[in-house]
This record gives sequence, structure tokens and C-alpha cells, in this order.
Amino acid sequence: MTVAGRSGGRRWRFSVRPTPRAARALKSLQLPAFWLLGLIMLAGVLRLLEILRADLARFPVATTSAVLLFALYAVPFWLFIASMDFLEREPPLLMATAFAWGGAVATTAAIPGTQAAHDLIAKLISPAFAATWGSAIAGPTIEELLKALGVVMIVLVARKQINSVLDGMVYGALIGLGYQVVEDIVFAVNAVALRGQGDGVGPVVATFFLRGFLAGLWSHTLFTALAGAGIAWFVVRTDKPMWWRLGGLCLGLGLAWLTHFVWNSPLFADGLGSGAAGVLLGMLGKGLPALAMVLALLWVARHREAHYYVAQLARLHDPKIATPGELQIMGHGHLRADARRYGKARCGRAGERAVRGLQTAQARFAVELSRVDHIAPGDALLVHCRDEVLAQRQRLADLGHPEAVVSPMRPAVPRVVVLGALFAVVLFLLIWQAIRTMNAA
Amino acid sequence: MPDYGRTMVAHRLVRNLLGGAAVLAALLLVVFGLPAINRAVPTDRSLAGRLYEVGAGVSVQPPPGARVDASKTRPGDERAAVLFLVGDVRYAIVVQPFGGQIAEAADKLRTKIKATQGYQVTGDEGAVDTVSGLAGLSGGYTAPGRCGRYAVFLADGRSIEVTVSGAQLELQRELAGIDDSISSIRYGGVR
Repeated sequence: MTVAGRSGGRRWRFSVRPTPRAARALKSLQLPAFWLLGLIMLAGVLRLLEILRADLARFPVATTSAVLLFALYAVPFWLFIASMDFLEREPPLLMATAFAWGGAVATTAAIPGTQAAHDLIAKLISPAFAATWGSAIAGPTIEELLKALGVVMIVLVARKQINSVLDGMVYGALIGLGYQVVEDIVFAVNAVALRGQGDGVGPVVATFFLRGFLAGLWSHTLFTALAGAGIAWFVVRTDKPMWWRLGGLCLGLGLAWLTHFVWNSPLFADGLGSGAAGVLLGMLGKGLPALAMVLALLWVARHREAHYYVAQLARLHDPKIATPGELQIMGHGHLRADARRYGKARCGRAGERAVRGLQTAQARFAVELSRVDHIAPGDALLVHCRDEVLAQRQRLADLGHPEAVVSPMRPAVPRVVVLGALFAVVLFLLIWQAIRTMNAA
Repeated sequence: MPDYGRTMVAHRLVRNLLGGAAVLAALLLVVFGLPAINRAVPTDRSLAGRLYEVGAGVSVQPPPGARVDASKTRPGDERAAVLFLVGDVRYAIVVQPFGGQIAEAADKLRTKIKATQGYQVTGDEGAVDTVSGLAGLSGGYTAPGRCGRYAVFLADGRSIEVTVSGAQLELQRELAGIDDSISSIRYGGVR
């Protein structure tokens, strides 16, 4: 183990700023921003509990079901966001902090702020203008600001954990998810109050379909991921001139505002054309471009980061650590999953677990390699990581499956494409059915 | 630690403190600053013309001396709301889609009134009509230091909820004008 180098390939060498080995979570305790964050979070949580306690007192069944339903709803989103950064996973405590900022701080601060902004639009322009455009202007302006402040706070307390644009997207998306979940709970309970027929789960389920299903894919999670990308770009790309970094920051924040504005705007509020098809088209027309933009940005950010870390292992030129075939699939989530499936097909569950073990050990080794400027022969942590990779390799070899690669019989159309298309069709049909049901009602 | 190192750490901590304070300041601006600015900007807008279009097809003749609280007024095609201020008396009209009977609409409005802490509906409900022929129900309610009247009408799949509240003396003084205004509510008036 003599090859050194923090740089991960010429093209990608500035895409990632690895967390220095000296960075420790406890060091955050010395930072004033950490204590400010604690105070702000405490105030936000207390205010949120106050709101929920009042809701619970009035509508116990509806509030409890809303909390349970939207908590379950958050799980697949959380898992997807957490898996976005397989190679260099974010600390769970920091991820939870981001979620809590969105759920407790941004929501409770947005209630008076958005209302005041809306009222000001009504007073300074006209009630009619506020009724039409108020939500589109006040909502994004106040809410995106509050959520972006959460990403800034994460940067202030754990600057070293923001290694790439992808990390910013992860924290931004989690803040957005926290906001989305709590906002949906509040909206669901409000729907019960508005119906005026006492405590019941009907409006909660309707809100779940409306806000969770129909509007869930292009909501706060997505908007704040864009803001997070912009902030992370500014923080990470210190190799660029300041105007370029500021440009990226403004672009991220601007896109977050714009996508939120378009979604809230009254344009195509009743859809394009008549009937369920018109409503569906209008919704897709407003939401899909934003979703496509975020997915494209995510694709670029993931691959840039993956290339950086793969290059760390590639420079070792050691097939016991990673074979060329393994390096090829390491940066692609669907190929890693295919390799695990191939391991399972050849050696059963043990094969799948062994492939997963090797992939995890390789990822950890790559991250640790990126954190040192020079590899010292006696570096205990690197030796430990290398030994872990070798142990996992031996485990695979003992199963008669020495290399964690994809099957040579792999179908021409990747499984991820098929599953993605299937998921999109099922979602499309569910949304279509939901709109038809609502129209009929 | 050499002096240079100490200075660097101190600078880093100061920058961190300033960054955190800036975030806190932005939060405080949104939570307290914006509402304060909102309160400082006058809420009323002068009324023009004899009939005021509330929205959702409903119009009304405002009581004498009434001003509109622009911040609580939301015109719209499906739902609409207006808040008139007559002195310290608040006179609100809310129009929204409703598929039930008039008794259900009245029950819903009573529930809404009672949901506010300290508010109690008093006495029995009675029938009420508008000049344009809308039939509805009306009643009264009390709150600490205030009392009020409510009325509800149905028109073309919509409920028109009216609530009036103010201090006892002030309300008595303005009630005649407000009653006339309630009688002037019409659906499909000025469209």
C-alpha cells in the first residue's frame, strides 16, 4: 500500500472535499453555532408540540392517524435520500437534525411569517391579487428561506461533513421532507376542522392522497434539495472564483424558489383541458420538469462523487482490493444491486451478504483513503480498512464466487430502467384514479 | 499552541458565531419582524360603489362607515371571504362550497364558533331572510368581553356564513346598519 494521493482523477478532483481525519463530532460542541442551533431547535420543538397538543385535544383520532400515516409515508423517502450517498454516508445524527429543522423549526416559523407576507401582499397590492398570487409568492419566499437556513446551520455546525454537492442535496432533501411531513399533518387536521363534523379520519385520508400522493413527488423534499445543492456548491467548490461560487448558490436558491412558485401558482390550477386527464396533465406539467431537473442534478452529483471515490481504489492497482470489474460497478447503485443479486443466484443468501459486505468495506476504504494526503505504511485505520476488504474477499472466495460483479447474462435493458418505468406507470395510474375519484365525488 | 494557531481558532469561532447569529436574526425577522411590519401597515381599504362583491357570486351592501380588512379578505371564484370593520365591530362573510342542508350548515358554523376558546352559542336559532330571497338561520353567541351574532344561508351549493362580533355597547350601536347589510346579501348580484 504505497500509492498515495487525495486527488481522485483529474476531472473529479475538486468535486469532493473529503472530511479530514481529524474531524470529530464532539468538536462541534466548541462552536457557538451548535448551541444556537440547540436553542432554536428547542424553541421549534416546543412550539410544534404546543400545536400538536391543541390538535390532539380537539381531534385525537384524526391527529393520531395523521401523525402515524405521514410518519409511515416519510419512511421510503428517508430510505431513498439516505441511499443517495452510498459511498460516503452522512452521520445519522446530522441527518436527524436536518429532518428536525424542517419539521419543527421551519414549519413553526413559517406559520406567522407566511401569513404576514400574505397579508402584506393583500394590503399593499389588493386582496384579489393576494387571493390569486399570494400563495405563489409568500409561500416560496418565506418557506424556502427558512429551509435554506437549516442547510446553512448544518454547514455551520458540521462544515467538514459537507463534502460534495450531493451532501447538500441530501441535507436539503431531509429538511424538505421534515417540513413536508409536518405541514401535511397540520393540513390534515385543518381539513378535519374545516369539515366541521367532529373527529374523523376521512379528511386525513383525503389529505394523504392529495398532498402525499398527488403533490408528494414534487414538494418540499425536491425544492430544498435544489437549495441544498446550491449551498453545497458554494461551500465545496473553493477551487472556483467567488463569482462562480455565488452564481451556483444563487442558481440553487433561485431554482428552489422557482419550482415552488410554479407549483403554488394559479397557472393551470384547474388543469389543462377538462376532466381528470386535464387535471393530471396540468399537475404533471407543473411538477415533472422540477422532478426531472432534480433527478438529473442528482445523477450528475452522484456520479461525480462516485468517480472520485472509485478513483481512490483504482490508484492502488490491487485486484484483491477491487478488480476492474468491481471498480466499474462501484459507482452505480443499480449495478451494485445487480452484483448482489448475482451473488445470491450463485451462492444463495450467504453470497448476497458477502457481496454486500465487500461493497461496504470497499466504500469505507475508499473514503478513508480520500482522507489522507499520504499513505503511511503503518497507518492503523487504513490497515484495518484494507484487512476488512481482504477478509470480505476471502469470504466470497470461500463461497466460490471470488469477484463481486454483475452476471454476464444480465439483460440488455437494465433492471433499474424496467422497475423505474413500471413504478412510473403504477404511480401514473394511481394518480389518475385518485383524480377521477375526486372528480366523481 | 502558537499565537498564529490561537488567532486562527479565535477567528473561526467568531465567524461561526456571526454565521449562527445571522441565521437566528433571519429567523427572528420572519417570526416577529414580518408580523410586526404587517401590523404596522394599515389594514383598511376604502369601499367603492354601493355593492361590494365578496366573491364566489356573493355580493353585499356594506354597513355605513365600514372598512375592509384587506389582510383577512380573500375573493375567489369557489371560496371567498371578507372582513368588514365597523368601528371595533368585526363583520365577516365567508362563502364556501357546501352540499348539505341549512340545519347542517348552521351546525357547522356553531361548531366553528365554539372551537374558539371561551365562545359559547346562546339561545335558539331563528329563521332569517335576505331582500334577494335567500333563506337562512341566525343566532347569537358570547365570548369574554364580547358578544356576537351569526347567520348562515345556502345558495347554489354554497354556504354563506356571516359572523358579527364586538363589545356589547358598540355592537348595539352598529347592529341596525349591519342587519341591513346582512339583508342585502345576494347571490349572483353584481357578476
